Amino acid sequence: MRIILMLIKKEFLQVFRSPLLMSILIVAPMVQFILFPFTADYEIKVLDIAFIDNDNSTLSRQLIEEFSSSTHFRSKGMIDSKSYADQLMKADKIDFLVEIPLNFEKNVMGQQGTTIAITANAINTVKAGIGCGYVQTVIGDYLKETAENSGMSAFSDNAQLFTTNIYWYNEQMNYKNLIVPGILVILVTLIGAYVTALNLVREKEIGTIEQINVTPIRKWQFLLGKMIPFWILGMAEFIMGLFLMKLIFSITVQGSIPVLLTITAIYLFVMLGLGFFISAVAENQLQAMFIVFFLFIVFVLLSGLFTPTEGMPEWAKFINYLNPMSFYMDVIKKMVLKGCEFSDVKIQTITLSVMAVILNTAAILSYKESSK
Amino acid sequence: MPEIDIQHINKRFGKIEALHDINIMVEQGEVFGLVGPDGAGKSTLFNILTTLLLPDSGQVDIMGMDVVKDYLQIRQSIGYLPGVFSLYPDLSVQENLAFFATMYKSSVLDNMSLIKPIWKQLLPFKDRPAGKLSGGMKQKLALCCALIHKPKILFLDEPTTGVDPVSRKEFWDILKDIQHKNVTVVVSTPYMDEATRCDRIALIQNGNIIKIDTPNNIISNFRGHLYTVKMDDIFGLMQLMNQFELTCNYYPYGEHFHIAFYDEVEKALPAFERFLQDHGRQYGEIKPITPNIEDCFIELMQMS
Repeated sequence: MRIILMLIKKEFLQVFRSPLLMSILIVAPMVQFILFPFTADYEIKVLDIAFIDNDNSTLSRQLIEEFSSSTHFRSKGMIDSKSYADQLMKADKIDFLVEIPLNFEKNVMGQQGTTIAITANAINTVKAGIGCGYVQTVIGDYLKETAENSGMSAFSDNAQLFTTNIYWYNEQMNYKNLIVPGILVILVTLIGAYVTALNLVREKEIGTIEQINVTPIRKWQFLLGKMIPFWILGMAEFIMGLFLMKLIFSITVQGSIPVLLTITAIYLFVMLGLGFFISAVAENQLQAMFIVFFLFIVFVLLSGLFTPTEGMPEWAKFINYLNPMSFYMDVIKKMVLKGCEFSDVKIQTITLSVMAVILNTAAILSYKESSK
Repeated sequence: MPEIDIQHINKRFGKIEALHDINIMVEQGEVFGLVGPDGAGKSTLFNILTTLLLPDSGQVDIMGMDVVKDYLQIRQSIGYLPGVFSLYPDLSVQENLAFFATMYKSSVLDNMSLIKPIWKQLLPFKDRPAGKLSGGMKQKLALCCALIHKPKILFLDEPTTGVDPVSRKEFWDILKDIQHKNVTVVVSTPYMDEATRCDRIALIQNGNIIKIDTPNNIISNFRGHLYTVKMDDIFGLMQLMNQFELTCNYYPYGEHFHIAFYDEVEKALPAFERFLQDHGRQYGEIKPITPNIEDCFIELMQMS
């Protein structure tokens, strides 16, 4: 016991004395929290829009006016020909072209059908898709308003169907709400796997591991003495992340915090085990870094942080069964945003526990092989 | 019973035979030197003795304990100073010592007696990070850490490599002092002059032990008649020497040329002198000298 306490004390002394590690531990989460959600934001702020008005009526002009008053659109004015519009779109000067047909006013007032052509620049598919929705909303709202103001019973009588979407668990479809909990996952992963692997490989590099190996301490004591400090650091980092999340983005954990902390603790053991295993394989810090970096990228891309896992091909889904991060990401999203109960994340918890046991066993075994 | 009993140790790394049938007995309380050039197998043997590496075959008993089975008890009773400085550079002198004391389940205060003379020199720097110490001080700290649990045997792997001559002498004085406190010392070194400070030495080359004896016995068993001669172009002479017919052993030795004759010295010496004159070499006086340990090592290497 005294030996393990001493190992832990030593580790903390070293961490607190390493300015680089300290800044990674404190600054990195802040920067990630502040920068990442704003860069990985799918919300469309400003769309450049141009118009071809073949009708040139009061109604068509008012409709165009409507776009200018919307904060989402920046009007690039009227265009005479379709070919010129094409040129502008190719040059990325406009994102949307709205073409109002001849007799637009007449048809609307006469309660006949009419067609408005919306052309979207789909270089950025997300932008095109979401933008199209905005354009339709503006047109729909305007026509509805016009109908009501003019006392026309047109749209209401014809049993018009207006669709409204409600996004559950993230009502404003705020992408920060999706990204920020993901950053928590990245933080915990980095502390668990990265810092641990580098720390252990460093002992190899400077030869201190050899000096430790000639002492009568056991392998499990040594590994425990490494694991506990980094586990504590990881948990501290996670809790700090929860506070930052509340402070900066006002996201509060919807589910039970004790359950969330317990699962995080298990996930950290998975990552610690991975870090140990990598350090047993790697000869130096550079090798360890490449291995962790490679795994990290694969984990993140498959984890469902950027794209939903449901949309991935079968083989990717299969790989995901081996990806601890995707299980944990799932738990975090469910616990933080949805407010799920433990019973909803039971399978993920069991899977992570099994992974923790397997990886840590592998780590201890590989350490026995590499020395004695 | 010998303190260390090494019997028929073999170790291979792939195609390289690092150690071949090593047999050594080290007595309690002696300073035993393992002398040999780089790559001779010294560190491999050390790693086996300190339970860090398993031999392919053979048996090593340390104080009656088997290095493979009883490695934990052995680790408790030996100290090891690796060839490279391997303490925590970001921990202070005091913290390093306390750390290793705890790893050996002992405490700094309990075992001060053995390290006191060295610790006194380190005391002014006790709060300095170990990485910021001078080379000599680093080594003294490493020695303290290796001795903090009062080991019965101290292993030192090339402790003086890269250390200046004054510090080297001082370090050997410390080792003698440790020996007097009833610790068996096993030390490896590539420096021949240090070999004479050991009680007994084993000469090792290409994984083979070529001689185990006291330095004095090794020197008195020198078989040839050794002469030294000072000259300018030693390299040129080395290339000519294959034309010299008599049995001899020759090599450059600093500014001098050493040559050992094996039969009929009365004839060989004049013959050598004539050989030098015939080839028009400039040379100083040819003097007989007493061989030192290095001459003996070269002779033993040539014969093996």
